Amino acid sequence: MERSMLLAAVLALPLAMLAACLWAPVRARILTLLPIAPLPGIAAALLCVGVPPLRLAPGAWAPVLMLDLVGAILLGTAALLWALAALYARCYLRGDGDAGRFGVCWLMTLTGCLGAFVAADMVTLYLLLGLLTLGACGLVIHDQTPPAWRGGGMYLAMALFGESCALIGFVLLAAASPDDGLLIRDAVRALPESPTRDLTLALLIVGLGLKAGLVPLHMWMPLAHAAAPVPASAVLSGAVVKVGIIGLMRFLPLHSAMPDWGQALAAVGLFTALYGVAVGITQSHPKAVLAYSSVSQMGVIVAVLGMGWSVGDASAALSAAFYASHHVLVKGTLFLAVGLAAATAAPRLLWPLLAVAAVLGLGLGGLPLTGGALAKYAVKGPLGDGLAGTLGKVSAAGTTLLVLHFVHRLRSFASQRPGDAAPVGLWWPWCLLALASLIVPWALYLSVPGGTVGDMLAPAVLWAALLPMLAGVAAALALQLSGARLPLVPEGDLVRMIDAAVRRCIAAGPAMVRADALLLHWPVALLLLLATVLGFGMMLFGGHR
Amino acid sequence: MSTEGGLLLAAAVLLPFTGMLFGMLAGGRQAQRIAFIVMPLGLVVAVGIAGTWLDGSGPVVYLLGGWAPPLGIALRADGPAVAMLLAVAGVVTGIGVFALADFGTPKGSAESRAAYSYWLLLLAVWGSLNLVFVSGDLFTLYVALELLTFAAVPLVCLGGSGATLRAALRYLLFALAGSLLYLLGAVLVFGAYGTLDIAQLAQRVQPEAASWTMLALMTAGLLAKTALFPLHIWLPPAHAGAPAAASALLSGLVIKGSWFLVVRLWFDAMPSVVTMPAAQLLGALGAGAIIFGNAVALRQARLKLLVAYSTVAQIGYLFLMFPLAFDAAAGRIAGGLALSGGIMQAISHATAKSAMFMAAGSIYSALGHDRVADFAGLARALPLTVFAFGLGGISLVGLPPAGGFLAKWWLLSAAVTSGQWWWALVLLAGGLLTAAYVFVVITRALRAPVAPLLVAPVARYRELATLGLALASVLLGLLALFDLRGLLVGRPSVGA
Amino acid sequence: MTVETLIALAACALVGIGLYGLIVQPHPLRKVVAFNVMGSGVFVIFGALARRGAAAGMLADPVPQALLITAIVVAFAATAMTVALLLRLIESTGSASLAAEPPSADGEAR
Repeated sequence: MERSMLLAAVLALPLAMLAACLWAPVRARILTLLPIAPLPGIAAALLCVGVPPLRLAPGAWAPVLMLDLVGAILLGTAALLWALAALYARCYLRGDGDAGRFGVCWLMTLTGCLGAFVAADMVTLYLLLGLLTLGACGLVIHDQTPPAWRGGGMYLAMALFGESCALIGFVLLAAASPDDGLLIRDAVRALPESPTRDLTLALLIVGLGLKAGLVPLHMWMPLAHAAAPVPASAVLSGAVVKVGIIGLMRFLPLHSAMPDWGQALAAVGLFTALYGVAVGITQSHPKAVLAYSSVSQMGVIVAVLGMGWSVGDASAALSAAFYASHHVLVKGTLFLAVGLAAATAAPRLLWPLLAVAAVLGLGLGGLPLTGGALAKYAVKGPLGDGLAGTLGKVSAAGTTLLVLHFVHRLRSFASQRPGDAAPVGLWWPWCLLALASLIVPWALYLSVPGGTVGDMLAPAVLWAALLPMLAGVAAALALQLSGARLPLVPEGDLVRMIDAAVRRCIAAGPAMVRADALLLHWPVALLLLLATVLGFGMMLFGGHR
Repeated sequence: MSTEGGLLLAAAVLLPFTGMLFGMLAGGRQAQRIAFIVMPLGLVVAVGIAGTWLDGSGPVVYLLGGWAPPLGIALRADGPAVAMLLAVAGVVTGIGVFALADFGTPKGSAESRAAYSYWLLLLAVWGSLNLVFVSGDLFTLYVALELLTFAAVPLVCLGGSGATLRAALRYLLFALAGSLLYLLGAVLVFGAYGTLDIAQLAQRVQPEAASWTMLALMTAGLLAKTALFPLHIWLPPAHAGAPAAASALLSGLVIKGSWFLVVRLWFDAMPSVVTMPAAQLLGALGAGAIIFGNAVALRQARLKLLVAYSTVAQIGYLFLMFPLAFDAAAGRIAGGLALSGGIMQAISHATAKSAMFMAAGSIYSALGHDRVADFAGLARALPLTVFAFGLGGISLVGLPPAGGFLAKWWLLSAAVTSGQWWWALVLLAGGLLTAAYVFVVITRALRAPVAPLLVAPVARYRELATLGLALASVLLGLLALFDLRGLLVGRPSVGA
Repeated sequence: MTVETLIALAACALVGIGLYGLIVQPHPLRKVVAFNVMGSGVFVIFGALARRGAAAGMLADPVPQALLITAIVVAFAATAMTVALLLRLIESTGSASLAAEPPSADGEAR
């Protein structure tokens, strides 16, 4: 019973802190308290796996919280990232007048993010998604520069669109589930037999995939993640994106084999993986590069889920979760490194920074003995040996290329003012996070039965991991030596299409205002009244014939 | 046969009107005091009616003078009526507290005609609304509707300027045209079926040319009073020109009166006459209101006009429930999820829109203007008010646990189960558009100002009243935890 | 063609005339008059129905007559309110036109 209460604390502590922020003195000092908020999440991830679901009130609409292994892995690593990023933010935003507002948005996003990992019913999840969107929007807009406004606006619009699709999906799901229940697990179990199965799945994938950044719904990610302050970008790209992933894991009926859906999803995922790399190498701002890298990595994870789904293998979710947890920590570290690099000029500090960033980044590509290698090894099974497996290896090569590009851009991003050094308060959280990125995946791998260190050191495994990496390095060298200029793709590539559509919609506005002025004429209005009478009369008459 | 507790129904109607009469005799400052005595008493009566209804097994009935229809008049309160009675009592109290700032007459100052009129009109609107909710026959409903119009029109021109007088006159003439059409329909009903009592009508009415004509006339007349697109011409100037406390009343509550009448007509009086195309037409007009109202709201430069056009759009939501409630298999309209959704939408809109107009009023009195483009720095100057506006917006957009979300969920469920997926698209498009202009206003308020903002002080209780109503609208969804669906749909109203 | 039918047809004509006046006449006072004509038409229809629904031996059904009196009072109150508003409008703006003006030019009360 007590351990279930810990699940409630995951939400209760940040919400209590949010409520306290209504008082201005608390709001002014909230930045220092931010690292405490995710601590119940870490504790719950370690202690509460598999406890009976916690029902917070009686009745069908009650919020229910539950933690399975997949959720625990993501919750623990995400909470760790939130805590360390908060320590970083404490120093990064010192002296910022709007720190109180930042803290409030941070807490809102944190509640939504961590809560999504423990939510077990649809309405609570929808509430947390809404909270998450509002908070994240506030984080993106924090600097109030034009790119920040654009990123925030685009993010809000697309997130609301995604949530609307997800809402209809939830309603359809609830209608198909026994007794119209709102528990996700029960509803999804009944989904494969429902008559509206395809529509429900499509809506859920669009809604949750948008949060995860699947192409073509990824456009908001580079704009939003690049425009936010560094610690916010770290948690947005590291932890918040995983909310879409956990959503897909929970809402897709992975236990039942649906080859056409699974393979289609895997195809979209692999396309996203390659697309992210292709556009990422054309970007010059390191944060934009990292954002496209996130897009690409989420594509890989979704592809793993898709392949597992096509054969009805629910354990693909576990592999995907492990892969995602590694990405959480590494992406957070890399984003924080951008902030450090921008404030550091001395080579003796800059080179170790770049080296560690390179190692961790290459881990994303599968560098042996890093957590990334473990992750790639874990997903090799679900991806299989066919086309998906090959494309997975190509994506590993691509990621290596992208990471090398990132390190190159990071070096150019370093401060040009000699003698500039980042304060210690920024360094030590980053070091802790880098250490965690190396240790935590190994700890997870060894704690879950089935893996040993020996397996990972086998020559076949090492060679399989190194081959794509070498290919990526070769491609990077080739690009560099050939001096080819890559096309200048603006951040948020497909955004142009949305802009054009939005402009056309906005042009409709004045037309409607003119129409409204026309309606204000008295004779027009009364004639419309008579027309209404006739209209209803006809409809009533015709309907009965 | 009056049920026990039926006298409370008469009390719910008589209490505000008695207060109004005494206030008229007593004068300005006393009118305000009498209003503040009546408000808690009215709340108690509403809660009492709810308690009686929950204990009983059918609607609460009261026969005036003991005479049964069709000779006498029956007052009847079923689930939807009880919910609306409670909601109106709560919102009126909130608005009354807020109005103290604008229309209160402190000691030592001379009473103004506007203040004196406001309290009387507040009570009159409340009484008329209660009469609309509990009336059991079409003619009493006509009288109640006219009372509502007569109480609402002076509220529009309380400020006294020429433009508001013109808006009030336009409102009055259009509303009178509407009520004449309604009366014509009611007269024809009596001629065809010999009774105006709703319960008896439901048993006698047949789908034939006569009943179609009646329903068409009455519905069109009521739509003119509810300002459904494209008959909304009078609403934006009227609601935007009135003082904030009056706009809150007009937008939040007065509109719901004529809407409730349409619900009574379609669901209780003539359910077998309604056809699918007619219901779809009503829904189509609602969809037009949503798209049109939100689109024009986005183009408004002034906050009060923006909120008024937002009302035009939200009225559309109230009419989406009609096609969704139509049971294609039975060929008649039936209460159910869609009815619950509609009532919840009405209640949540009443609270949220009142809060938004009250916030707009506080902003106007603080800044001296309400141009959205010049709102920079407002969030720091009036944090509670901007927060309340945002909460109201959240309820309108439909995020949990707001009442708007619950309404949207029920309406979406009805759309999905009846296969009318196009209404689902309309609902969600409306939510996105609403989010757009709420976002514009809030971000404008959050921006740092170029020069320090000159702000007149706003009384704390005023901000708290606004925040209270906004919080009520956001927390309304928690009602779902208590499985009160029975309150909104459950027992049928026919059968006295 | 009984008397009631004739009266009812005349009443329909009244309603039609009133409606026409309400839509077409620009001056608010004429609209009020048109409203009253239309209202009278409705009342006369009600009266004709009362006559038609009379029980054996009685001259007319009493229920519509009672309702009619209420309706007349309501219409009278409506006319009074409209005329009062109109007078105040003329006093305040000097013209009685109901012409639509752009909403942004509206004066702001409070």
